[in-house]
Amino acid sequence: MKPAKLLTPEEVVAVFAKKFGKGILESRITERCEGVGKRPSYDIWLDIDRDTLHPAVRELIAIHFPHLGVISGTDIGDAVELNYHFSIYYGTKHGEYMVTLTVALPKSDLRVATIADLIPGAVFSEREKQEMLGVEVVGIPDGRRLFLPEEFPEGVYPWRKDETGIRDGMVKDLWAVGRPANRPARPAIPPEEEGVVQAAEVAEAKVTAREPAPAEEERHE
Amino acid sequence: MTLIETILAAVGGTVAMAVFGIVAGLFFLGVDRKFAALMQARIGPPLRQPFIDAAKLMRKENIVPENAIPWIFNGAPILALASAITILLYLPVGSIMPVLGGAGDLILVMYLLTIPALAMVVGGFASGSPYATVGAQREMVILIAYELPLAIAIIAIAWRLSMAGIADPFSLTTIAANPVWGVVGPVGAVGLLILLGILAWVTPAELSRIPFDAQEAETELAGGLLVEYSGKNFALFYLAQAVKTIVMAALAVALFLPWNLSSFVAMAPAVAVAADFVFFLAKVLLVVFFSISLIRVSMARFRINQIVSIYWVWLGLAGFVGLALVMIDAILAGV
Amino acid sequence: MSDDPQKKMTPYTVPIGPTHPALKEPVMFTFQMNGEQILKADFAPGQTHRGIEWMGMRRNPVQIVHLTDRICGICGVSHSLAFARAMEQIMEIEVPERADYVRTIIAEFERIQSHLLWAGVAAHELGFDTLLHLTWRVREQAMDTIELLTGNRVNYGIIQVGGVRRDFTPDQFPAIEETLQYYSDLKSKLLKIFLEDKTIQMRCRDCGVLSYDDALKLCTVGPTARASGLNMDVRVDYPFAAYGDLAIEPILPDAYMGETRGDVFDRIVVRLLEVDQSVDIIRQCLDRMPAGEVIAEPKLAKLLNQFKKAHGEALGRHEAPRGEVLHYVRMDGKEHPTSWKVKASSYSNLMSWIPMLEGEQIADIPIIVASIDPCLSCTDRVAVVRSGERGIMTKEELHRLSVEKTRRLSA
Repeated sequence: MKPAKLLTPEEVVAVFAKKFGKGILESRITERCEGVGKRPSYDIWLDIDRDTLHPAVRELIAIHFPHLGVISGTDIGDAVELNYHFSIYYGTKHGEYMVTLTVALPKSDLRVATIADLIPGAVFSEREKQEMLGVEVVGIPDGRRLFLPEEFPEGVYPWRKDETGIRDGMVKDLWAVGRPANRPARPAIPPEEEGVVQAAEVAEAKVTAREPAPAEEERHE
Repeated sequence: MTLIETILAAVGGTVAMAVFGIVAGLFFLGVDRKFAALMQARIGPPLRQPFIDAAKLMRKENIVPENAIPWIFNGAPILALASAITILLYLPVGSIMPVLGGAGDLILVMYLLTIPALAMVVGGFASGSPYATVGAQREMVILIAYELPLAIAIIAIAWRLSMAGIADPFSLTTIAANPVWGVVGPVGAVGLLILLGILAWVTPAELSRIPFDAQEAETELAGGLLVEYSGKNFALFYLAQAVKTIVMAALAVALFLPWNLSSFVAMAPAVAVAADFVFFLAKVLLVVFFSISLIRVSMARFRINQIVSIYWVWLGLAGFVGLALVMIDAILAGV
Repeated sequence: MSDDPQKKMTPYTVPIGPTHPALKEPVMFTFQMNGEQILKADFAPGQTHRGIEWMGMRRNPVQIVHLTDRICGICGVSHSLAFARAMEQIMEIEVPERADYVRTIIAEFERIQSHLLWAGVAAHELGFDTLLHLTWRVREQAMDTIELLTGNRVNYGIIQVGGVRRDFTPDQFPAIEETLQYYSDLKSKLLKIFLEDKTIQMRCRDCGVLSYDDALKLCTVGPTARASGLNMDVRVDYPFAAYGDLAIEPILPDAYMGETRGDVFDRIVVRLLEVDQSVDIIRQCLDRMPAGEVIAEPKLAKLLNQFKKAHGEALGRHEAPRGEVLHYVRMDGKEHPTSWKVKASSYSNLMSWIPMLEGEQIADIPIIVASIDPCLSCTDRVAVVRSGERGIMTKEELHRLSVEKTRRLSA
């Protein structure tokens, strides 16, 4: 599926600006050059209105069927921003552009239309956004959780930075746990076998309470 | 001989053969693992590893799954081992004639060969695990699949012997005493080579080895019909597997390589028995290497439908070709 | 299975996972079966979600670079490279040219070892253990070279924001050349044993087919997409690091096989040919490698200070062995990023399992699942079923148990 005509990044932006007018809130093109040859690669960033998202993806398909990299999201305080990272013109040497469509969803109304009807693979990323950011993807064909376990509490969204984010009590800082108090006693080692390092450990072990190991644990050795 | 003496001889022989089958079987499993390791450029486990495994499994806890039918689940491994040992009683070992040689023949051995497999099927179905169920279904399919080429190979030999005017051709004693290679001409020898190849290809399926191990298929079914077995029950299946290895090798030896050293070199009777026994083990080693180790390191596992088409179409056809050559040979010989 | 009569009827359900010998990492599959045939497939990832993005949003970018090293056990450089590139774009850091080449060379060695690792796993899934042992043995050469160059076999720790942390020394070049020669010599042998073997053809040809349309619509990437004829390779399409300077063409199966079927076999072809392509890329890099510095800002304290002033968002991309890796980073003048999204290559590829698996046999599940080279993640929690009761073990308990076990073993 080769695109009929290759547009420059500016032309791609112009296509969107012409078609959607005020639906495109902001647009910019970034360029990055690396290596000795400093060959440029282009990223196109379009901030768009929520209602423009679905027709904008349709427009992108008209230019070249886009590859959806991922949908990322940010909690920016009073709104949640979703970034749809597409790439077009893959398969043309040094001619691929990233096109990022950004929609801001106010926290009072966290709903966005699904794009899975246009790009079926998007459902994977949309499921993740629902569970991680608490947005509602309207019309999603499969609304189950993706990565979070079944017993994860409802109404907690790990990527949010407000009261619905991960609460302090849910975080277990392993480094801060320290020595467990109920550790079973170490088996006794004859002194002649003890190394210098082990001697220190034994000294430490003596201070801790010596509880017999539960029989259960022995079985699972 | 009185009745008591007969019974005592049978019991003694059975115990001796059981011990021999298990010990030699485990040893050859170790040999197979070592061969495979060397061919895969690995060091591999020591030869006694199967003994260590069996001993360890014997000490381990037997876990019967909640969904299993306990008496069948526990009974299947015993049945498998017992039937595998029973087959051994009908097969000659070197110049030692079969313990029950007078009571059964090759057809019986063929039927007995299905019993350990059926025991595994029963055990698999009784495990109550979807993996074991799928494995048991596959085992039944494979059982039916390899029966045809195996039967062709066995019948062709017995038929050729009977054509040569040898009485009681299905008796293993007769087959062992009259090497079939001596009976046939050049055309028949080609046919026999084809049949030998077929038997070599049936052996991995009988022993659930790659490429015909779809019923256990570690990466697909996590062990298939044995998935729920542990501890002593699993050890019994493991021993049955060891004995089956000896059984299949001894069958191949009896059918195709029945010569004994004592028939070539004159020896004192006691020495002859020992020499023939060692020679027998060497022949078993040969069979184990070619039809188990070599095949399993050089192939990928087949799908169940591929196994069926290989046995029914390809090996079945090859079997008929072999059978036809043996028949032509008989006609040429003018019998 | 329980006594639920529903489950005993056909079509019956076969669960595979979360842990199963066919799966090298945990994922839960549920199959509706009719006999040996799969009617419907479903999967649930996240059996071991570690919350790395959450951790990253509470750490500074230098710490995150080391975290990215540990996202995947095999792609030790891909994630770090993608993340570092995103940071460099936000902060407008000019990466020294030599560093771009060092990054490219390490990334390509990683591709060699990853594809060989995969080839071994695929052979094992087919029950062909001899090939597993062979490919993993030849893989060691790449691992040794990576260790020589970076100091580590896995989690290389070579990438830093603004460059790489160590340069190649002149005495390392002969070793690199020796490795390249080793793999050049091996190419025809590997192709022969994988592609001409009858049993591999029987198991892999026309098995697990992913059509071009499905590959496109399900957003697949990397060798999985290319095996279905989708011409997509970030290294070729989107110049970054040293790739813009090099002559590379995407590997598509029709160039070697004459046609594209999008089956498991085509995926083997693409990956094996990419091993050779990587050798070629490293050779080109060595020929053109410029001299100079390898890091823009060697002083970490200064770098950390710059992070606090950084504003903006950027995308870092890289073609990992499994396909496109994408990192989105947004900095808002704080030490840690406001937003960090990691898109690993397998994230895009998992959806393609469904069309590949449906209609195939149970026997094909392992090889099809492995054929996209899935890379899931490591543990954050473990469910233990003990006497019928299901409980989740916390990290502390696990940590305690492991310490005890170590002590018992060392006692």
